[in-house]
Amino acid sequence: MTANDTNTDSEKVTDGGEEVATDGTGIVPPDDETPTWRERKERTQGLSRLTYEYFERARREDQDLRQESSYVERDVLGFPAWPHEMIRNLALTSFFVGMILFLSATLPPEMLPPADASNTPAVILPDWYLYWSFGLLKLGPLNPDLSLLGGQKLMADRTYGVLANLVIVGAITIVPFVNKGAARRPVEQPFWAAVGVFGVVFAATISALSIKNLVPMDSHLLFDLTFLLPFVAGFITYAVLKSMREGYMFTLNRRYYRLRPPK
Amino acid sequence: MSLKKKDEHDHKGWMESRDLTVVEERYLAVLMWLDKRFRLVDYLELLEDLYYKVNMQMPKSHTEQYGLDNKFWYWYPLYALGSFSTLAYLVAAVSGALLGFYYAPAAAGATGDPTVAWNSVAAIMTDLNFGYMLRSIHRWSAQVMTAAVFLHMLRVYFTGAYKEPRELNWIIGIVLISMTMVFGYTGYLLPWNQLSFWAGQIGVEMALSIPMAGEWVAQLMFGGFTLTQATLQRMYILHVFFLPFLVTALIAVHIGIVWMQGIAEPH
Repeated sequence: MTANDTNTDSEKVTDGGEEVATDGTGIVPPDDETPTWRERKERTQGLSRLTYEYFERARREDQDLRQESSYVERDVLGFPAWPHEMIRNLALTSFFVGMILFLSATLPPEMLPPADASNTPAVILPDWYLYWSFGLLKLGPLNPDLSLLGGQKLMADRTYGVLANLVIVGAITIVPFVNKGAARRPVEQPFWAAVGVFGVVFAATISALSIKNLVPMDSHLLFDLTFLLPFVAGFITYAVLKSMREGYMFTLNRRYYRLRPPK
Repeated sequence: MSLKKKDEHDHKGWMESRDLTVVEERYLAVLMWLDKRFRLVDYLELLEDLYYKVNMQMPKSHTEQYGLDNKFWYWYPLYALGSFSTLAYLVAAVSGALLGFYYAPAAAGATGDPTVAWNSVAAIMTDLNFGYMLRSIHRWSAQVMTAAVFLHMLRVYFTGAYKEPRELNWIIGIVLISMTMVFGYTGYLLPWNQLSFWAGQIGVEMALSIPMAGEWVAQLMFGGFTLTQATLQRMYILHVFFLPFLVTALIAVHIGIVWMQGIAEPH
């Protein structure tokens, strides 16, 4: 039906008396036939339809949980972002940047002699944050000999060192998939805190091993200490936290029961 | 008819009752996994009714909820380490961009005579007004960033902040800390002094010792099996072009996820 047809119907005429274009050229108010956004979404097919259905279910779930819960929401009474929080952040930022500038001014970097391929320096070192990785390259003595292969090592010492790097980074990466649960504080999980302390101390000792030329100690003793100290630190941490936990859990439980007395 | 209330939230049962194809099933599984972690639903909802959401209510703060208002929390100062590493990254970016005006990544001859790169660093240190300060700021902000990033990781570990909805951010963090160290390493090589050169040598040998792919990696990263002009060039491009884009994008994602999920405080 075009606009030229019988246009005496009052419903098709706007207030100004102009004709209503229903061919898509003008602004047409939605009638009963026009699908709502919901209907449009419900009519879709395939993965978008699946997404829509899942989201609808998930939203419903959220709403139900919100209505069930006794969680108290409060009116907006936060620390104002402007100017309070901005001033606080600015103060923190300028303090921190000022610290960097102060360090830079007082301790400028040194100028070492230029690169010389024909002259090996006595001490070769990466920057400090790579000492741990450099130390792992020096684990040759741990690379097992395999007598089956006529006393030959299964892999070269340096391959072993590179592999050790990968193993450590991999172990750190999978932590969230191994240690689950709601515990947040070291006292709540003495074992994992002990593992963490083991790691920190091992990072320190392996770094010391990497600069063994500079450490005033017998290198064999240093090598042994590199692996002994982390275990000692880990065990001590575990023992301390385990005994702390008794008292900690007691207070926690007491508070819990005061809130919700047992029936 | 069973009197037991039907579990409306049984997404798994719903999925099974739908008789889905393999593709749909995989897709839904990924969607649910992500939704559970990043609350995609909330953002969809937010978009839909942004229109009438003027009276936003804030939930109780952590300290209010657990009645900790009167306690000083010894963890709290450690919660600034992420911000501090970001700040140090910004300072390093600005000072690095300025240094780029004066630095020339060329090693005329690594065998004996001083090189172009080393000379340009020497010129920055001695001839340029405040040049030593500029290099010093760049170096110190890099050191501070690395230190802050390491401590940040320790804080996240010991407060268990990597747990359930935050696994992806932990992995992104591992990638970021690795890239921070690569950033440092490539920057360490740029002045092309004795330590740079021999640290580079260690890098080449580490690359070469990778089984199977070793030679290929050495060619790709260091431009050969010995240190040459190609090595310096690659380190420079990695340091000023490749890593900045990658690391900035990842930091944005990292912080974005923290924004979405909120900060994990110990209970």
